[in-house]
Amino acid sequence: MSIEKKNQKLPRWGMVIDLNKCIGCHTCEIACKVQNDVPLGIWRSWVKEIEKGVYPNVVRAFRPTLCNHCEDPVCVKVCPVHASFKREDGIVMVDPHLCVGCRYCMSACPYEVRYIHPQKGILDKCDFCHFRVDEGLQPACVEACPTSARVFGDLHDSESEVAQLVSREPVQALKVDMGTDPHVYYIGLDQTTMEVKREVEFVWDK
Amino acid sequence: MGQIVYDVHYQTSLGFLISYYFYLTGLSAGSFMISTLSYGFGMEKFKPASKMGVVTAVLLLLLAPQFLLMQVAWPVKSLWHNFVYLNPLSAISYGAFLLVLYPLNSIIYGIFMFKDNKKWTKFFGLIGIPLALAVHGYTGWILALGVARDYWNTGLMPIVFLFSAMVSGISMMILMIMIRDRFFTKEKVINREILEGLAKLLGWLLIVDLFLVFCDYSILLYSGQEGQEVAHFMLFGRMAFGFVFMENIVGKIIPLIIVMIPKLRNNYYLLVLAALMNMIGILAMRIVTVYGGQVLPLM
Repeated sequence: MSIEKKNQKLPRWGMVIDLNKCIGCHTCEIACKVQNDVPLGIWRSWVKEIEKGVYPNVVRAFRPTLCNHCEDPVCVKVCPVHASFKREDGIVMVDPHLCVGCRYCMSACPYEVRYIHPQKGILDKCDFCHFRVDEGLQPACVEACPTSARVFGDLHDSESEVAQLVSREPVQALKVDMGTDPHVYYIGLDQTTMEVKREVEFVWDK
Repeated sequence: MGQIVYDVHYQTSLGFLISYYFYLTGLSAGSFMISTLSYGFGMEKFKPASKMGVVTAVLLLLLAPQFLLMQVAWPVKSLWHNFVYLNPLSAISYGAFLLVLYPLNSIIYGIFMFKDNKKWTKFFGLIGIPLALAVHGYTGWILALGVARDYWNTGLMPIVFLFSAMVSGISMMILMIMIRDRFFTKEKVINREILEGLAKLLGWLLIVDLFLVFCDYSILLYSGQEGQEVAHFMLFGRMAFGFVFMENIVGKIIPLIIVMIPKLRNNYYLLVLAALMNMIGILAMRIVTVYGGQVLPLM
């Protein structure tokens, strides 16, 4: 983890999601859609649900998904017009005035969290609700989470809850092998929620 | 192990328009290569194809970027943003320059060729070869640098793209020479020598192309989880018709058999069939690579 190495004065925003607390209520999904005016059929953040086990030993596992705000984001590297950029505090954003909608970053992102806005034709993604963060508020999904499963804060500040959770708890990030250094950490991440069922039909397809 | 109850579907980013763009740049680069064989490398027997080659190369490369602009959501903005806000780390940035330089160079080369100025034709033809390699190789780089997808992220991708460009370009030249000689000349006699040469060249390039595909898939099948899954998806899954049948059997193996056996090769109907099948197969290859490479979800 590169948190220790970087400039300590600036904040480095990150998120820890405690999946032991997540009840799969999808409130964060709705809060995000309302806050950011996300169009129908598209999500910036969502909760993947998996049913695992064999009856009678079955359980549902959840994985809230959002942009991982990587330290070394692929999307920023491949963007031909510098529209995707990383702020100094670690938030990966898209400049709508620069973006031409070529969708290259969409195909290069290992987390598949980017989408083309159907009306604007530019790329859109989770930006940790940067306008709320700049005003000292929490992102909408964190604010709305009824069980406080999502924790947001400054990873450089050793007093913050996220920094303490990351140092104390066994955390895991998604696809660390891609070399992107993601800054969304999960506590109690279930292996089944990371598996990709590529040839299996979804439940609603049947 | 688990059963997905709820997940969000992923938008497919690069669609059929990009496949057509890659296909047309490939045809353009291939026909440019053929046109340089006589002026650039002194292979006199390919001279009748030179002028036609450069004209098709220019025309196709003026057509190809239109598909790219249709795919981009803000085409006018992309025309100047690509130059003003250039990101040197992105493969697309270089493409913007190549798509300007390569047609310009081809036009100059063509003008000197039509003026019968051998010295300058050779000069611009030799400049054009690296440009033609780059303008099609970079499309392979675009995919190869989409690092999220194991099917694309391989060093073979630019080379596979180059060889498929050359075979499809040669097939197109075979068809065009036949049509021109048969219908648009006074003698109405088909030039057997040049067709024989192009068909032999096509055969050897097809062997290299098939070898590259074999390398790619044998390595994919032994790589990580996603690589194995995408290889199975291509070979036995929903893409099997496009990949195995259209691209490899129709597009490469049957044309290879036809052009490698002299008796079959000298039959004009079979040669036309081989060239047509190869062109269709390479179009299938573009669609399979662009669309099929990203249709499987990653998360």
